[in-house]
Amino acid sequence: VPEVECRLDPATGRLELHIKGIVGPACDDVAAVVREVLGRPALEQQTADYAVRPRARVAPRVRARRP
Amino acid sequence: VSKYLHFESEIFTDRHLLLGALADLGYREVEEGEALPLYGYEGGRRAETAELVVRRRHVGRLSNDVGFRRTDAGFVPVVSEYDRRTLLDGRFLVRLRTAYSERAIEALTRRLRGTAHRTVEGGVVTVRVRF
Repeated sequence: VPEVECRLDPATGRLELHIKGIVGPACDDVAAVVREVLGRPALEQQTADYAVRPRARVAPRVRARRP
Repeated sequence: VSKYLHFESEIFTDRHLLLGALADLGYREVEEGEALPLYGYEGGRRAETAELVVRRRHVGRLSNDVGFRRTDAGFVPVVSEYDRRTLLDGRFLVRLRTAYSERAIEALTRRLRGTAHRTVEGGVVTVRVRF
């Protein structure tokens, strides 16, 4: 399940967000919404599975029967 | 995890969220305008101006006006050195940032049409927004 994990430390006011469950650059769309609401972050890092490409689902081939 | 973002700046990008965060801290009376003058605790006009101002009568007897100057990056606090040290036990900006972030997370949840699951551990608040 895609999620944004927000960790807020009231002692410092520091807020960290992890965008999880979205492989590949698709999470840029979510990051754009985050930036729209929260502004430009002090730090933004892509993590290991950012480079993972979502697997394309191949539709099963259907053979037409000859009449 | 595919992306990590970290916020701790003193700049508040969203006016609506900032006004809400100020209200959460009890500062509901906020003047809005262009280049409003700021006054010190003795009533003297200070050099700075701001677009959002909490007048000192709403802040504290010995306090100065607290302002927020609008810039291209967002609203920047204009808070005297005295008020930084004393207001809300010297934690005014940290508490404002925390209240702002709480409201921002709520706004993010609405934007993503998600559901929020909140837990607190060791004082740190974790909100998981699933969408």
